[in-house]
Amino acid sequence: MIQIKDVTKKYPKARKYALENVSLDINTGEAFGILGPNGAGKTTLMSIITTLVLPTAGSVTVDGEKLSRQRIDIKKKISFVTQHISIRKDMTVAEVMELSGRLYGLPGKMIKKRSMQLLEFTGIADKAKSTARGLSGGQQRKLMIARALLSDPEILVLDEPTVGLDPHARRKIWDMLIGLKLKGLTLLLTTHYIEEAESVCDRVAFISGGRVSDIDTPANMISDMGSFAIDVFEGERTKSYFFKSAEEAEGFIKTSGKPVKVRDSTLEDVFLKKMGTELG
Amino acid sequence: MNEQLTAAGIPAEEITTESKSTFSRWLDGIRTAIWEKWVDFRHEWKKITASALVSPLLYMVALGWGLGSMVNTGGRPYIDFLVPGIIALATMNTAFSSVSVSLNVQRLFERSFDQIIISPVPMASYIFGQMIGGALRGMYAGVLIFLISLLFGTSIHVNVLFFVVMFLNGLVFASLGVLASVIASSHLDISRFSTFVITPMTFLCNTMFPVDRMPAAVAVIINCLPLTHTSRMLRAIAYTESINVLSIIYLIVLAAVFIALTNVIISRKSNL
Repeated sequence: MIQIKDVTKKYPKARKYALENVSLDINTGEAFGILGPNGAGKTTLMSIITTLVLPTAGSVTVDGEKLSRQRIDIKKKISFVTQHISIRKDMTVAEVMELSGRLYGLPGKMIKKRSMQLLEFTGIADKAKSTARGLSGGQQRKLMIARALLSDPEILVLDEPTVGLDPHARRKIWDMLIGLKLKGLTLLLTTHYIEEAESVCDRVAFISGGRVSDIDTPANMISDMGSFAIDVFEGERTKSYFFKSAEEAEGFIKTSGKPVKVRDSTLEDVFLKKMGTELG
Repeated sequence: MNEQLTAAGIPAEEITTESKSTFSRWLDGIRTAIWEKWVDFRHEWKKITASALVSPLLYMVALGWGLGSMVNTGGRPYIDFLVPGIIALATMNTAFSSVSVSLNVQRLFERSFDQIIISPVPMASYIFGQMIGGALRGMYAGVLIFLISLLFGTSIHVNVLFFVVMFLNGLVFASLGVLASVIASSHLDISRFSTFVITPMTFLCNTMFPVDRMPAAVAVIINCLPLTHTSRMLRAIAYTESINVLSIIYLIVLAAVFIALTNVIISRKSNL
């Protein structure tokens, strides 16, 4: 279990807190999504969980042990796919994998064998001898995911793992994440693709202005807001209304007198509503 | 965990997950950093070799052949005086820049240093590995200069201790390079560090001219600088004279201080 307790972060010279008293419990084997607008503090939180950034206050514990940069026994359980491309671009793809394997203390033969398996899985095995600089943005991201899996982590932290990927590659990554989750890997991720978070995550948290506002399952969040969505076309803009029962929705349609579209509510609707933004 | 990977479509592979001893982890960190430096060298050995030679060769041509006849070096040929100083200089420059520039790029531009921070490798061991890698690169430059100096007609004496001193000098400046790279907040900072710290040593530390006649106050400062000790020791060996053991101890202590400082900074710096 990962416990984030009262984590606060203020960067030097920054006027605002990047995170303010954030507390979260993430269960072992759970897929947990952190959703929020740009600048909400998602990346800072992920960076703190992986010791890349140290908190100003508060703590992170993994299985009851307090995480720090010196706790290599905890760190070996965690892999991180950063939002930015964080690979040695002058190295070949195979060398990038080997560097990671060496850092995690894997034997040489195993590094080579698993690297090829993971590169084949992510579809870049034919690039093994190419320098990372020569890869496209999407291929570099696939390389980062392959690298993160090389060390056989118990906790996989992914900050916008599918940014820059084409729909086919994105689908493949999300399928892989579902497979990993089903077999017990703890996943902690941020994404802008909320419909994908809805399909992968057991629970999600909304974060805005450095504060966590809601934590629940996607289904509960949708149910609390209203599972029935009606989009009303009001001239140039569309406004969405949410209802908890079909009867309420039908009553609204009868009285609105405007063109409407009826559909199921989604986590994205919840997100937009909570974040104060409406469709259109 | 193999099941997880199999479920995700990745063929199963036996993963070694036993706990490693702290010593093994340290060895992993050192070996990884040295391997990384070796990969750098393998990719760019031509450029590395050329850049290690340009400045020292210019110094040897301009000073050795040009000004050499005008410098009094106690009756010995000036080229024999100059070469140990140039070797000290080459090991310093190469060791420092091979580590500082590379780590700075990895930390601030490529941000690939993130992977080092989050990995379970003990940071101090990785830094130590970088130091050794940088020192070996410095030695490479020093040996090249020595070989080329033979073409200039030098007749200096070289033994195992000569290489040990070269390595120690590389170790000190590689560790200073690691320290500079973690303090720097931009690539220009490395350049400034070089301007304020490395360049003065290039000219002041008994490398190209004897410093015996320097004013006392200046001599005290010069004697505190590591390159002074290195060039003095290399020259003593080259002249088949005995070296001051305290100078060796001084270099080891300096390297230890730099690595300790770097480790403290990395472990405490909240945003690397």
